[in-house]
Amino acid sequence: MGQLIISVGREYGSGGHEIATILSEKLNVPLYDRNMLDQMAARNGIEAESLHQHEEMKRRGLVRTVRGHSSSVQDSVAQLQFNFIREKAESGESFVVVGRCSENVLRGNPALVSIFVRGDEEAKTQRICRLYKLNRLEAKAKMFRHDKKRKAYHNYYSTMKWGDSRGYDICINSSLLGVKATADALYEMILQFVEKRKAEESKEELA
Amino acid sequence: MLAQILALVVFVTMFAFIVWDRFPKHYVTLSSGALTSILVFGFAMRDAEAFRNTIAIQNIFTKSFWYAAGEHAEQTSGINWATIIFLWGMMIMVEGMASAGFFDWLCLKIAKLANFEPVKIFVAFMILASVLAMFIDSITVILFLAAVTIRLARTLKFNPIPVIMAEIFCANLGGSATMCGDPPNIIIGTSLGYSFADFVMNTGTIGAVSLVVIIIYFYFTMRNRLQDPGDRVDPGSIDVDVRINNMKEFMTSTIIFGIAVLLLVTHSFTGLTVAFIGVVVAAITLIAAGKKAATLLKKVDYTTLLFFIGLFVVVGGLEETGVLVVIADFIAKVSGGNAYIMIAIILWVSAFASAFIDNIPFSATMIPVINALAQSTGVDLATMAWTLAIGTDIGGSMTPIGASANVVGISTAGKEGYPISWAVYCKELVPGTLIVLAISMLNIYARYL
Repeated sequence: MGQLIISVGREYGSGGHEIATILSEKLNVPLYDRNMLDQMAARNGIEAESLHQHEEMKRRGLVRTVRGHSSSVQDSVAQLQFNFIREKAESGESFVVVGRCSENVLRGNPALVSIFVRGDEEAKTQRICRLYKLNRLEAKAKMFRHDKKRKAYHNYYSTMKWGDSRGYDICINSSLLGVKATADALYEMILQFVEKRKAEESKEELA
Repeated sequence: MLAQILALVVFVTMFAFIVWDRFPKHYVTLSSGALTSILVFGFAMRDAEAFRNTIAIQNIFTKSFWYAAGEHAEQTSGINWATIIFLWGMMIMVEGMASAGFFDWLCLKIAKLANFEPVKIFVAFMILASVLAMFIDSITVILFLAAVTIRLARTLKFNPIPVIMAEIFCANLGGSATMCGDPPNIIIGTSLGYSFADFVMNTGTIGAVSLVVIIIYFYFTMRNRLQDPGDRVDPGSIDVDVRINNMKEFMTSTIIFGIAVLLLVTHSFTGLTVAFIGVVVAAITLIAAGKKAATLLKKVDYTTLLFFIGLFVVVGGLEETGVLVVIADFIAKVSGGNAYIMIAIILWVSAFASAFIDNIPFSATMIPVINALAQSTGVDLATMAWTLAIGTDIGGSMTPIGASANVVGISTAGKEGYPISWAVYCKELVPGTLIVLAISMLNIYARYL
């Protein structure tokens, strides 16, 4: 199949993470999300939570920069994850990665297919209510809070805006078909992409 | 009055932009410097002489700028070219030392001498950070020390976070001990005409007392968190390569460093100014580097030098318009002319200000203030100068953004997966900073008042 990297950006409650999980299972490749920090924490012998609490977050509070070094722990954790994604990509490994500005970090990589999953507000609210046993008001507040945080984080560390269709290969509304069917549709598209790439490579070899 | 208001507005805006950290700092100070020149000197004062005084380029072409035997080379107003030229020279020397592997070798050699025992390394690296920071900028010291600490921590299975924080603190403390240890000291020394020896005998001795106390404090508060006894690694099984790749480069850089230290220690006797020493050290480094000279020149942090130039112009605007005299009068009024209160104000205000804002613009602003205070109240200028140096240098240790070394240490640790948040940092270093400031204040009271 050659190297294949799927990056999945997502709105909170859209089922983007679930779609990423289904894709990684179907493609039989690892899924990287917040677990990428677990590996670093295990290596350093520290609590993974001390890293998790600062991830996917824009720098906060008073920050100072000196010769490219930042005092912000959010900046450090973001760079840690970007380097992890870059190293994995450079190693030739195929994988699915959720969020972490991965489509921006790997922009220009021929193995990358970048996806952004959005959803209708009503569908997302219902999904959050079901998953987290919240009432509608709480679910909407949670959704708003997380999306605000993700947007701020993404837009701070990326050149393209969060959810802007120009920054992704595929943008999809998961409410249209439902999470499972959306994942299946995306899987089919990815297979077609792999086939097309293979055909182009064969053509180039013959030429 | 209009000139004073404009100078103050430009200054406050500049500070706000520096704290905001959204734009490169040298752009901020250079733009502010340009605004000061146009609005304050040009529009409000219409005074070409004030502008010339602030640019101060003519000073470079005087003999006393390079050689000042038997006299103090003072320059309290405008761009402090001596500071800029000295920093440029030291930056070239440090780049030469780094490329020769001097710092890696030194850190690993000391770890080996400490028998690769975490607690011994912890104490040894605190002393090393202090001593190196006396002669080399603290950014470079922490850059190498933190990186080596993390490497050793992974091999020896200890927690590097307390070690790095103690190194940061001791680098800032060591920097306060000499004239070239921290930029505020260079500015204070060149502006008020104090020598390297003057700093060593005053801030140096105060710093030495503080260092002993702080090592004991950190030892007792941090040693139990360094390593779980179950993680102990047999020192005999450690295989860390302590090797010098290019002996010729290493020896050359060590000799040049020795020459720099010698010239600095003796400059009050020889009459050679720090600007002269900076140029000599840079010239020797570049000649010895041969083909690598261009690379060393490119590696110099010119943005910091430009930051200084813009900053000096803005502070020059405050000085020429008399704003700083107003601040000095205010301090004199608040303290009622009491030297004890005045020293306490300078020390604690400098320390808390430096904890949140860059200590370089702060000290550059305060120098003319203490000069005016000395003239109006009769309190010894030197005592206030040492107080200012200690306050700005030590106070910077209090928060993650207080000093350059803090930022570099936190960033180096964070990029390797050892996050140091504001809460963690302040919990460890605020008490230490307050202890050292209190000791320093008592020291100043006992010795000078």
